[in-house]
Amino acid sequence: MTAIGHEIREFPGEMPPGLLGTLEPGPAEEVRLRIESRELRTATRLLREMGARFITVTVAQQPEASLLVLLAYRATVIGLRCPTEGNADLQPLLDDWPTARWAFQELAERHGVTIAGRRLTAPDADLLDQRVDGLDAFAIPYGPVRSGIFEAIQFQIETGGESVVSLQTRPFFKHRGMEARFRGLVPSRAVHVAERVAGIATVAYACAFSQAVERAMEIEVHPVAERWRAIHCELERLACHLDVIAKEAETTALYVGHARFQILKERVMRLRARLSGSRFGRGVVVPGGVHAVPHVDRQALRAELDDLERQFRRDRKLFTATASMTDRLIGSGTLPRELIDEFAAVGPLARGSGVATDARHERPYGDYRRLGLQVVTHREGDAMARVSVRFDEIAESLRILHQALAHLRPALDEHPASPGRLSGCACGWVEAPQGELVAWVEIEDGRVANVHLASPSLRNWALFDHAFSNDVLTDFAFIEHSFGLTPAGADR
Amino acid sequence: MLNWLLRGIRGGRITTRYPHRAELPPDGFHARVEVLRDTDGDGDMQRLCPTGAITVDDGHIRLDHGRCILCGECVRLAGEHFGWYDGAYEIASRSRDGLLSDAAIEDHVASRPSLGELGSALRRSIHVRHIDCGSDGSEEWEIQALWNPYYDIQRLGFFLTSAPRHADILLVTGGVTEPMRGPLKRTWQVIPAPKVLVAVGTDACSGGLAADSGLIAGGVDQVLPVDVYVPGSPPAPIAIMHGLLQAVGIYNPEQVA
Repeated sequence: MTAIGHEIREFPGEMPPGLLGTLEPGPAEEVRLRIESRELRTATRLLREMGARFITVTVAQQPEASLLVLLAYRATVIGLRCPTEGNADLQPLLDDWPTARWAFQELAERHGVTIAGRRLTAPDADLLDQRVDGLDAFAIPYGPVRSGIFEAIQFQIETGGESVVSLQTRPFFKHRGMEARFRGLVPSRAVHVAERVAGIATVAYACAFSQAVERAMEIEVHPVAERWRAIHCELERLACHLDVIAKEAETTALYVGHARFQILKERVMRLRARLSGSRFGRGVVVPGGVHAVPHVDRQALRAELDDLERQFRRDRKLFTATASMTDRLIGSGTLPRELIDEFAAVGPLARGSGVATDARHERPYGDYRRLGLQVVTHREGDAMARVSVRFDEIAESLRILHQALAHLRPALDEHPASPGRLSGCACGWVEAPQGELVAWVEIEDGRVANVHLASPSLRNWALFDHAFSNDVLTDFAFIEHSFGLTPAGADR
Repeated sequence: MLNWLLRGIRGGRITTRYPHRAELPPDGFHARVEVLRDTDGDGDMQRLCPTGAITVDDGHIRLDHGRCILCGECVRLAGEHFGWYDGAYEIASRSRDGLLSDAAIEDHVASRPSLGELGSALRRSIHVRHIDCGSDGSEEWEIQALWNPYYDIQRLGFFLTSAPRHADILLVTGGVTEPMRGPLKRTWQVIPAPKVLVAVGTDACSGGLAADSGLIAGGVDQVLPVDVYVPGSPPAPIAIMHGLLQAVGIYNPEQVA
């Protein structure tokens, strides 16, 4: 129990002398620092210079009402907490962290601070707030009604017809108030809400929420349950990555390729249905463990994975050998490494630009503490690199699945270990297929009091506006698919 | 290109023969929650459901599939009365009342004619348009799956179009958030008659978990008249296909051929 008990955690490495604050107790890998609001700017700037990565900013109610800035630093999550007397001035933080734009604005709106202009979380599809430079340029509002079966989001593209002069992403058309929906529920019921925030990453959201609850309430999870979580997480990653690749093939009108990758994805979905009763792995993860897993024929499961891998290898070989396919991806939507760092991007997007960030590796959780993992990176930073990262990660996920299945005991359907405490707050994190997902959860008397989800989709989308430096309008779909994000996760 | 072609052919036929032949879910699939015993209900059962899909009236239990998000709380905690049903994917109904567990035959009667009844010439060339009004993203995956080689809905004459003016069917996902209300109405407006609207997913049928958030309309039928409801969180591809066939009025398999 000591590993998950709340105590004062040491600052990783040397605490910089200019950082004035009091360390507070928290669960493992979580460094909590209480600072005065006038010190916030100095603190964030110092940490940024040391290489900390912005995760999110929110208002926490525990242990007292405060502004909470979450940063990833080395193998820890640093929580900077400053008690709010009235309204804290957010503007300086915004200057330091361009990626924080949406998180700040969302926070400001929810807590009654209006930033000049319209409300972000209530976008107007007809309102063009794009200024058009030059005589021959015009602005296209693309979305929220998309062409094809895609989720609602809007892009305002300023173009002269070919080159993209500038682009502005406008999320929040799908804001459903999911974070507020958690409040007052017992964790085992609240997990159903987590599963329905971003449907394509159901298991990742359920795991992030459950792990936060377990850390807040000091619940120890059985290793068998952790293994099943990892299995479902990796199956979800397979489905999401195959979906991205299939969509890229469709965009090039490589129809057989599209069909082949769709077949692989459908097989993964059916496998998940056999294992959990749901094609999206819903109802598996629950705070404290997993729900009963149907009896599986391990031999059949491994045979299915083997065949999947064989087919995948062949399709991948053809994909990378098809010049009409790769020509559209190579050099498209190039994101230099500096931009990734500046915007604190995560997931396959960051790994495609050579940044080896992966929550499973940085702060191993659950079964990933036991399973080996190779973080895949490509350096080119273009759409092809992001697709290649996904190709390699599919192979890696299949390897992890084989490893996990090799030593598999039947799952236990008992909610073990009573909670160590009934009130508390903590972060939980997972590497969702879209990138690092962090959940901030506060529990009061065994019920969820406050939840904030730092979705990888929202953070990575800030970068989309900058992905068109050398690209033309027809590259749009390729670049969008290579990001592989979900508006539902971003808007919540 | 030839390599791809050979690769495609080598796999053989994997496409379902639905609706000419039944397609059954795998064992243990959560196709829907079934009321195993609808008597002796008590008031506590209503509280089991996070979306208020269960109502108990004088001991009589009624489940509204249009509100059910398939979380399984009732199956786990009141297993005598509720169970998972994996016997069939089909769940779509042409009326909202048809989604109630105790729906009578007359509850299934559609209030409006289907596309097939409106113009039978359309039967083998139906164009489908989709609009997302606040789903969780999973419904989009299941709709996309209809055009993959396993389901290949094109063989039944359904085509995907990106132009609403070419569309005959509008598929709507999500419980309609405020910013999507206007775009939804305008999309519907420009679709030429005859046209039908299919609500896909529990969110689209009733708003699901976010129904009381004050941020969504709480179901597509609060904004526009719905012709076919396909509940599920998310509904499986076959369930959506069944909904589309109902929308056209050709669910009867002989009519498809």
